[in-house]
Amino acid sequence: MEPVLELADLSKSYGRGERAVHAVRHVSLTVGPAEVYGFLGPNGAGKSTTIRMLLGLIRPSGGELRLFGQTLADNPSPLRRVGSLVDGGNFYPFLSGRKNLEVLARTMGRGRERIDDLLAQVGLAKDGGRKVKGYSTGMRQRLGVAAALLGNPDLIILDEPANGLDAAGIQEMRILIRSLAEEHGKTVFLSSHLLHEVQQLCDRVAIISQGTMIHESRIADLLRHDSGYRVEATPVSVAEAALAARWPTQLDGEALLVDATREDVPDLVRRLVGAGADVHSVAPTQRNLEEVFLSMTQSGETSDA
Amino acid sequence: MLNAFSAEALKLRRHRATWFLVWIFPIGALILYSVAIIVQLSRGLPPSPVAPELESWLASAANFWGLPRSGFGRIIVTAYVGIVFAGEYAWNTWKLIVPHRSRPSLIAAKFAVSLLLLYAAFIAAALLVNLLGWLNDMARGNPLPEGITPGAIAMAHLQGLAASLPGVLLSAAIAALAAILTRTTAAAIVIGIIVITLEQLFTAFAPALSLYLPGAVEALFNALPGYHLGNLTGWILDGSGRVVPFPNGATIGWGWQGSLAVVGAWITGLTALSFWRFGRQDIN
Repeated sequence: MEPVLELADLSKSYGRGERAVHAVRHVSLTVGPAEVYGFLGPNGAGKSTTIRMLLGLIRPSGGELRLFGQTLADNPSPLRRVGSLVDGGNFYPFLSGRKNLEVLARTMGRGRERIDDLLAQVGLAKDGGRKVKGYSTGMRQRLGVAAALLGNPDLIILDEPANGLDAAGIQEMRILIRSLAEEHGKTVFLSSHLLHEVQQLCDRVAIISQGTMIHESRIADLLRHDSGYRVEATPVSVAEAALAARWPTQLDGEALLVDATREDVPDLVRRLVGAGADVHSVAPTQRNLEEVFLSMTQSGETSDA
Repeated sequence: MLNAFSAEALKLRRHRATWFLVWIFPIGALILYSVAIIVQLSRGLPPSPVAPELESWLASAANFWGLPRSGFGRIIVTAYVGIVFAGEYAWNTWKLIVPHRSRPSLIAAKFAVSLLLLYAAFIAAALLVNLLGWLNDMARGNPLPEGITPGAIAMAHLQGLAASLPGVLLSAAIAALAAILTRTTAAAIVIGIIVITLEQLFTAFAPALSLYLPGAVEALFNALPGYHLGNLTGWILDGSGRVVPFPNGATIGWGWQGSLAVVGAWITGLTALSFWRFGRQDIN
């Protein structure tokens, strides 16, 4: 199937010569249909700049950007199949939520039919007639999601969609995003600093640091990457001596953390039994996304699964 | 393009600036003329003994049109257009609409809607002034000149409107470019006011300044739009251009075609710059 979104060596620099600031350097990625793709990175990593290039708000300095197989440089019309939420929802403060959506619908050349349904979908049915300047951050964010869905887009780009939402709102947002992909076949490209959310929501993830993409893989692969096993065996000293000769091993309380792979597990158990240790448990240790993300962005690790 | 126009119209109709800087013209005209009529009637002034000349009455009937082309009127236009364009940066709303419509169509819609709103207000104000002036004459029993016809009144207003257009379009072009370049409402308005004030001061003082730099001042006088705006007004309203004598004995007096070309070039150039700059601008 044709990719929905392809970035090839996408770059953005501000200024020239030695004083140039490289906000994004040679980012390449591909997002397929009905995929939920996470874009992670610390503040200032280049996530928002990349998203703005995707939306035609910022001109790339180099590389290519293709939406639905068409380059944006030739023709901005593929953007009409894209819905977006950038900077937590920017709206005309002097208009109501409903009128803001109406302005957007008219800009898109669409009717008003979906507006009330969308306001209800994001929990703003009662507040749709209020001026946006009186909205809380969370309400603006929800209105932003409604705006992103207004044109019934095939690709939805969400920049920090959970910002300003309370726990229940985040839960609702998560359900909404998953249903967009699973039930409606939409592709979702989202950036977030809430790694737990990304871990639960996304099929694949790219990690960007200092403008450079340092990792792209499926979430499961990313979490398996650099993982190991937690071994509970007694006596611990005997078990440690048996395993340390073969794998990097460290003591973690009464257990051992062993940097071994799934294929190593039978050998690991044989060694423990052979050394006379009683084996109580051998379980994979998965680092959560936050740990993986921090280790990658802090060490500048580069790998592609 | 029509979609962008319709969206812009919905947005601007509800903006406070449209009330304070656009509909203020007919509302202000209604209030001021009503008060003036009440004051005149309360003073019990006798009716004029003779009817004014037809041309004078028609000029008076359409005298509102002097306001949009005056310095004050042009500053109001600048402020409004500055808010219309720079507002999108202040509200951060370009990000909402730019992905859905081509940038030139968004800019064109802003020009079209803001100018249409301004001219709807100008026309309403001009007709109100005309109507209230006529009511004043009726109430006081002033005699009216012979030959007043709807056609003559319409022509007077049409001439007034035509004479206001170059100045209003130029002011809008200056404000839009300033807004796009500075991205802030206040800066756009201040720059617009400064440019228009300097243009008018230079036009007024150029003959005196030419004593110090005769060649350069004369060249600037010919090239800048200030003189040509006045010259076009003269041609449209009086049928003759403005001749400006300089201390060195030279006189400057252009035909309407030449002045129209100069003003048109300024308006087109500034507007094209706005389109070009916005088309390449990063919206962060």
